[in-house]
Amino acid sequence: MRSLALFALLASGTVLAVPVQAEPLKIGIIESLSGSQTSTGRLFAAAVDYGVSLINAEGGFNGAPVQVIKYDNAGGTTEAADKFKQAVADGVNIIVQGASSAIAGQITEDVRKYNLRNPGKEVMYINVGAEAMELTGDKCHFYQFRYTTTAPMRVNALVKAMKAAGDLGTKVYSINQNYSWGTDMQAAIEAAAPIGGYEVVEKVLHDVNKIQDFAPYVAKIKAANPDTAITGNWSNDVLLLMKAAHDAGLKVRFATAFLDQPGNIANAGEIALGDYLANSYVNGAGDPTFAEKYKAAVGHYPVFVEPQTVFAIGALQLALAKLDFHGGPINVTDIAKALENVTYMSPVGPISVRKEDHQTIRPVVVSKVVKNPKYPADGTDLGFQAVSTVAGPDAIYPVQASCQMKRPT
Amino acid sequence: MEFAIVSALNGVIYGLLLFMVSAGLTLIFGMMGVLNFAHASFYMLGAYAAYAVSSRVNFWVGLLIAPLVVGVVGMLVERFLLRRVHAFGHAHQLLLTFGLALIFEELIKLFFGDFPVNYRMPENLRFAAFTVFGTDYPFYRMFIGAVAVIMFIALYVLLARTRIGIVVRAAERLPNMAEALGHDVPLVFTSVFGAGAALAGLAGAVAGAFFPTNPNMALDMAIIVFVVVVVGGLGSLKGSLVASVMIGLFSSFAVGIDWSLATLCDLVGLGAWARSVGGLLTMTISSISGTIPFLLMLIVLLVRPAGLMGERN
Repeated sequence: MRSLALFALLASGTVLAVPVQAEPLKIGIIESLSGSQTSTGRLFAAAVDYGVSLINAEGGFNGAPVQVIKYDNAGGTTEAADKFKQAVADGVNIIVQGASSAIAGQITEDVRKYNLRNPGKEVMYINVGAEAMELTGDKCHFYQFRYTTTAPMRVNALVKAMKAAGDLGTKVYSINQNYSWGTDMQAAIEAAAPIGGYEVVEKVLHDVNKIQDFAPYVAKIKAANPDTAITGNWSNDVLLLMKAAHDAGLKVRFATAFLDQPGNIANAGEIALGDYLANSYVNGAGDPTFAEKYKAAVGHYPVFVEPQTVFAIGALQLALAKLDFHGGPINVTDIAKALENVTYMSPVGPISVRKEDHQTIRPVVVSKVVKNPKYPADGTDLGFQAVSTVAGPDAIYPVQASCQMKRPT
Repeated sequence: MEFAIVSALNGVIYGLLLFMVSAGLTLIFGMMGVLNFAHASFYMLGAYAAYAVSSRVNFWVGLLIAPLVVGVVGMLVERFLLRRVHAFGHAHQLLLTFGLALIFEELIKLFFGDFPVNYRMPENLRFAAFTVFGTDYPFYRMFIGAVAVIMFIALYVLLARTRIGIVVRAAERLPNMAEALGHDVPLVFTSVFGAGAALAGLAGAVAGAFFPTNPNMALDMAIIVFVVVVVGGLGSLKGSLVASVMIGLFSSFAVGIDWSLATLCDLVGLGAWARSVGGLLTMTISSISGTIPFLLMLIVLLVRPAGLMGERN
């Protein structure tokens, strides 16, 4: 009897400190941690780690620190599907992924099907980098959130800012990679022609990261004689294109979507001067506190896909702050509903979720490569300097008709 | 006319670059019968070695040291790894070198990081050699072509006209006889493998300054190099040269050609219909130019399985 009383006393003491069976929130990162896209995958993972450390510094969620589990998809959809199953078996509540729209397409479909088959045990998917239009079109569903820009957002912002700066010209060349992202970019470039008051002189789609020699393409661009070339190319495809253009003495300004990938500025050097970039954030735009805090914790200023990922986890933190499961089971549907209503203040402006398709309405920063900026890139004396920030409502495009989202009742 | 001349120039130079990378692979297969899947990794090692040296000393010293370093790595690989599995045949060699390729890639990431490194040609080489139709033609492209041509001549003379060449060819054809005549056949093999690796290293050091030097460069090159060797005929140096230049020219011309199946349908008056169907019918040749080498390989394998200049059938 006395031991029972002692046990009750101890137990109640523990309850006061932390809930007895606090269920931790588990975030699973399914990223390319090996293979050819390792460099990007690692950046996503590092930024999630940072974002979660902020949540845990404030006491975590549901009475326990938020856990992060990393899964390597090796850059392929098959491996990603496999790792999704493993993540579900590990009890992951939220999947985060960003590199590659193909993998995002696989994961979002897996999440949708899993939720159909397992009502009450839903998982959600936060897309922090895959930009294919169909993810919030044909493939949209309630448990997927896209915390990044898409092709029309980037192109419209680029065109507006470059026109205002007098750098756009009247003849635009469209050169993109031949897959969903490239065709999205090409469509966006054509659609933005009335805004920019330009004519698309030629459109080219080419193989993805297979071409070593861009000289033939440069010969083609030269024949069309454009003022600006807009390209959604990433990795080798943007670097080789710019280098080949410079080597041929081609005077054309490049407007890009992924020039800020680490290593690009170091490799391109001075030839990148004057080229444009549109993305979610560059250092030096807006409030510098975010960049300084990130550097203090991680060791370098946030670059490339890191800022957008930190913003996504920041929004999640705000959603979690509205909820309290009292240490009991975690209800992902409630988290998703809360996330729909969150407005996250990024250094460059508010980011909110559009309820119809779960695309975020977010500011787009347009920047230009200059010499001696405040935040140089890749240890060179070059870097990006913000030219203008297009506010979320001005950058967003209408909801795609193909998105038929079923909301939970 | 302008299109033809510029495309031909671009195609030939790109072809010569492909030859530079595949020469070592051809040599190793022709003289040793080893299918070296790690060959493109030697190319990558060459670029990184040149980067490491040139960032401390200078570009030319890097160009000199890189092939030596890679050659030594190649000899070590042959002496301590390949020789052990030689008796088990092609499959084991292929698997071993495939594993090596993966290990080299991760090692490079470990030491040099995931991102492209800042390996660029010196500023004094960055000028236009000449101007064609108002387009500057970079000197460095001519330099790449020249290195490839010198490499071909040197290799050809060495193998066909010198005593060393006779010994090497004898060691491949009749190893027992060569051994009986007092030649150290295993040493010959080690040297040939080292030389092949060194050639890839030199190619990497030269091309790495023109293309981005990153941990994916081996992967980007690995397959196309095999295509070159298969099209040219396994083991034939001349075949490799012809195949490389062909692939370079085809890829270069394909970019400028906007034909599609719909254009073909125009001939019989079905063009408008084809364009309304879209999809595969309106896909232009220029959008699939990267696939041309593989198409060429398929055709060659169907028509002449031994390759353009291959001996074995």
